Amino acid sequence: MNTHELPMILFTVIAQMSVGTFLVLGVIDVAVMRGRFKDSATRVVEPVLYAIGPALVLGLLVSMLHMNDITNVFNVFRHWNSSWLSREIIFGVAFAALGFATAIVTWLRAGSVALRRVLSAVTALAGIALVWAMSQIYYSVVTIPAWHTAIVPLHFFGTTIILGALAVGSALMVTAAIRARNEPKPATKTTTKPAPTSGFAAMVKGRIAEINAPTSADEWALTTSIVRWIAVVTAIAGLVILLSYPVHIADLAQGNATAQAAAAVFSGGFFIARMVLLAISAILLAFFAFSTARNTLRERPGWLVTLMVSAFVLAAIAEIMGRSLHYDSMLRIGI
Amino acid sequence: MTQDKVELGEKLGFYFDQTACTGCKACQIACKDKHDLPLGVNWRRVVEYSGGTWRQEGNTFTPNVFTYYTSISCNHCENPVCMQVCPTTAMSVREDGTVWVDEDKCVGCRYCEWACPYSAPQFNAESGHMSKCDLCFDYRQEGNDPACVSACPSRALDWGPIDELRAKYGDNAAVAPLPDPSITNPHLVITPHRDAQAWDSGTGDIANPKEI
Repeated sequence: MNTHELPMILFTVIAQMSVGTFLVLGVIDVAVMRGRFKDSATRVVEPVLYAIGPALVLGLLVSMLHMNDITNVFNVFRHWNSSWLSREIIFGVAFAALGFATAIVTWLRAGSVALRRVLSAVTALAGIALVWAMSQIYYSVVTIPAWHTAIVPLHFFGTTIILGALAVGSALMVTAAIRARNEPKPATKTTTKPAPTSGFAAMVKGRIAEINAPTSADEWALTTSIVRWIAVVTAIAGLVILLSYPVHIADLAQGNATAQAAAAVFSGGFFIARMVLLAISAILLAFFAFSTARNTLRERPGWLVTLMVSAFVLAAIAEIMGRSLHYDSMLRIGI
Repeated sequence: MTQDKVELGEKLGFYFDQTACTGCKACQIACKDKHDLPLGVNWRRVVEYSGGTWRQEGNTFTPNVFTYYTSISCNHCENPVCMQVCPTTAMSVREDGTVWVDEDKCVGCRYCEWACPYSAPQFNAESGHMSKCDLCFDYRQEGNDPACVSACPSRALDWGPIDELRAKYGDNAAVAPLPDPSITNPHLVITPHRDAQAWDSGTGDIANPKEI
C-alpha cells in the first residue's frame, strides 16, 4: 500500500464516489420521472443526497494534507488556463457548492421542481467535469508512461460508477433498515405537513420524522428495482475495469524501459488481491443482491442490507488498492 | 562571460562538455554551498551512466563497456512542463528565460516534481516549498558566473544565451539518460562523450541513483 500518497488516494476515491452517488441519484430521478413510482422517488432518493456532502467535504479536507504550505492555498486557482490541477480544484469546489445548494433547496422544498432539476443537472455536469479534470492531471503528464494513457480516465470513471452505484444501494438499504424499525408504530403524527409557523427546530424535526417514516409498498418496490439496476451497472463496470488491466499491462510492456518497469507494478499479491476483491464485490455480491432483491420483504430487509453494504465496503477497499497501484506506477522517463 | 546577464529575452541556458567531465561533483557541491541547500536537495547533480556487453571469439572474451558522466541542473526549458502543470503560477519564467519558483505563491503540492523529466524542481522540507536552480540570479546581477560554472576544474560547464551556445557548441541534448529533448526543448547543449548513447537506446543504467 502506498502510504506516501494516502491523502491523494483517499481524496480521489472519495470525490469520485461522491460524484458517482450524485450521478446515480440523478439517473434514478430522471428514470422514474414519468413512471408509476413518480411519487415515491423523492422519499427514496432524498436521504442519500444528504450523505454526499459530508463525504465530499471529508475528501476535500484530506486533499489539503497534500499541500505543504497551506498559507498559499488560494493561489491554486491562478493557473486555470494551463494546469489541470487548478481546474480540478475549481470543479471540486463548484461541485461541492452546487451539491450543497441542491441539498438545501431539496431539504427546504424551496423553489419550483424545475429549478431543482436545473440545479441538479448543473451539479451533475460539474461532477463529471471534476472526474475528467482529475484524470487529466495524470493523463497530461507526458513524462510518465503509466499515466499518459486512456486507462486513467477509464479507471477514474469506473471508480465513480462502481462506488457511486454501490453507495446509493447501501444508503437505500440502510434507510430501509431504519425505516423498518419504525414499522410497528402507527405513524400518524409524523405524516402531518411541517408547519412553517412552529419555528425552525420543529420544521427540522418534522422533516427528519417524515424521512424516517416506514417504507410504503410502492417505495419498497422502487427500492428493490433500483438495487437490481445498481447490481447490473456495477457488474458491467467492474468487468470493464478487470479486463482493462491486461490491456494496460500489455500496452506498458511494449513501451520504453520506464513503461516496462511500470508494468511490473501491476503484479504480485497486492494486485491480485485488488482484482479478486473487485470481482467479489462488484460482480459476485452484486449478482447475489440482484437475485435476492426481488424476494426480500420490506419488513425484513436484513440480508439484502448486509449484501449491499458488504459489496460497497469491499469495493471501496478494492478501489483504494487500485488507486494505490496507480500512484505506485508513477515512474518517470529521464533522470 | 562576466557581464550582467539578467536582460530581457536572453533565453539563457547551460552548456556541458561530456568529454571533459571526470565526475568529481565540484559543480554539485559549489551549487549546494552557494544556495545553502538542505540534505537531499541537490539542484545540480552528476549522473553516472554505464553499460556494455562483451563478445566471445573462441576462448577470448572482448569487453565493450562504457561509463560517462552528465552534470545536470535545470535546463530552463523552452517548453517547461513544470510551469504548465503548476496550479499556482509560482513556477514561472523570468524575462531572461530562466525558470524560477516564486515562494510567495508556491503551495508545495509537488506536481512539478512529478512532471519534470530532469528532476529539476525539488521539494525543500524546511520551507514547505519547491526549489530549483535559478541560474544564480543574484550572482548574475553582480556580473558573476553561476557557482557551478566557476567551480568546474575541467571547465566543462558554460552558460549564456542558448542561441549563442548553440552557435558555438552545436545542438545536441539527446544523450542518455536524459529524456527525448523534444518533450521540453531544454536550453541545454552537450558535447557528447565518445561513448555517449542516444536518449532512446536503452543500452545502459544510471549507476548512482542515490546520488541524484
